[in-house]
Amino acid sequence: MDKIETLEFKIAKFLRAGVLVAGVFIFIGWMSEFSMTENPFNKFSTYQKVSFFNVAINGGWSVILSYAGLFILISLPIIRVMLTGFLFFRQKEKAMGTMAFVVLALLLISFVFGIEV
Amino acid sequence: MYSLLLLTISIFAGFLGSLLGLGGGLIIVPTLTLIFHIDIRYAIAASLISIIATSSGAAASFLRDHLTNLRVAVILEIGTVTGAISGFLIAASLNPQWLYLLFGSFLFFSALMMLRKKTNSVSHDEHPWATKLGLSSSYHGPDGKLVAYKVANVPIGLICMYFAGILSAVLGIGSGIFKVLAMDNAMKLPIKVSSATSNFMIGVTASASAGAYLLRGDIRPEIACPVSLGIIGGSFIGAKILPKIPAETIRKIFVVVLGIVAWQMISKGIRG
Repeated sequence: MDKIETLEFKIAKFLRAGVLVAGVFIFIGWMSEFSMTENPFNKFSTYQKVSFFNVAINGGWSVILSYAGLFILISLPIIRVMLTGFLFFRQKEKAMGTMAFVVLALLLISFVFGIEV
Repeated sequence: MYSLLLLTISIFAGFLGSLLGLGGGLIIVPTLTLIFHIDIRYAIAASLISIIATSSGAAASFLRDHLTNLRVAVILEIGTVTGAISGFLIAASLNPQWLYLLFGSFLFFSALMMLRKKTNSVSHDEHPWATKLGLSSSYHGPDGKLVAYKVANVPIGLICMYFAGILSAVLGIGSGIFKVLAMDNAMKLPIKVSSATSNFMIGVTASASAGAYLLRGDIRPEIACPVSLGIIGGSFIGAKILPKIPAETIRKIFVVVLGIVAWQMISKGIRG
C-alpha cells in the first residue's frame, strides 16, 4: 500500500466513524420528539417555504440535535475533500491538490445558495 | 407508527442499495411521495441525506479493494459539484409535476441500464490530461494479477459529470448510473473501477446540494431522521450478508419493481 492509499484509508475510516457519530445525534434528536400516535408527515403534503433558522429556533432541543447530526453527515464528504487536498500537497502534487481545493471551494459556495435573505 | 414504518422501509432501501450498488434515492423518493404523500421537494432533499450516509459508510470498503481511482474522482468532482449547484438553482424553478415526470423517466432509464450486460471497455490511448496528471492506474484482477488501464477522453467525462450533478440535485439521487456509464463508455475505465469511483463520488455530489437544501429549510428532521438512520442500518446489514445473497436474482426483481414505480411516478406527474 503506497502513501496515498494508506492516508486515504485513514480518511475512509474517519468517514465511517463520522457516520456513526452523526447517527447517534440523529437518533437522540429523533427519539426526543418521537410519537406513536400522530402522523408527522401530514404537514409535509404541501410545500411551505420556511427557513432552516426558523425551523431550528422554533423546534427546540430535539430539532437542534437532529440538525447537528444531519450537519455532521453533510460535512463528512466536504472534510474528505479537504483532507485529500492536504494529502496531495504533502505529496508535492500541486495540480491535484489545487483541484481538490477547487472542489472544496465549490462545495462551500453551494451552501451560500441555500441561504435566502 | 408512521415514522417506524418509514424507518423500516429505509432499512430495506439501505439493504437493497448496498446489495445492488445504489445510493438509495431511487427507492426513498417514490416511497416518500407515493406511500407517505410527502411533497416531492421535501422527498428529494431527504433522499440526498441518505446518499451521503451510504457513500461515506461504504468509502472504506471501496478503498480497501484498491478499485477507486482517487485522482479521477477529484477531477470529475469539479464537474459533478458544479452541476449540483446548477441543479439546485434549476430545481427551484421546476414545477413538481415536471419533477414527477423526470423522476419516472429516470427510473425507466435506470431499469434499462440495470439490464445491460456489463463489459469492460479498454483504451489503448491515453488522453494528454491523463498523462500529465497520472490518471492511468491498475487494480488487482480476480486471479490476483495487476490489471493496468489507461484513461481516455477526460474532457468528455467532465462534461458528462456536470449533467450527472444536475440530475443529482434536481431528483435527489446519486446519479451513479450516469457516472458509471460516462466513465465506462467515454473514459474507457474498467467497469469495476468506474463503479467504485462513482460510489466514492456520489457523497460529494449529494453534499453540494444537500447543504443548500438544509439551509433553505427543505431538509426536515421529521423526514430525514428516520430515512438516514434506516439507510445507515440497512446498508450495514447489507454489507455483512452481501456474499450470501444471490444479487442477480434480486436485481431482476428490482428491475420489474422499478418499472412499476416509474409508471406510477409518471402517472402522478400527468394527473398533477
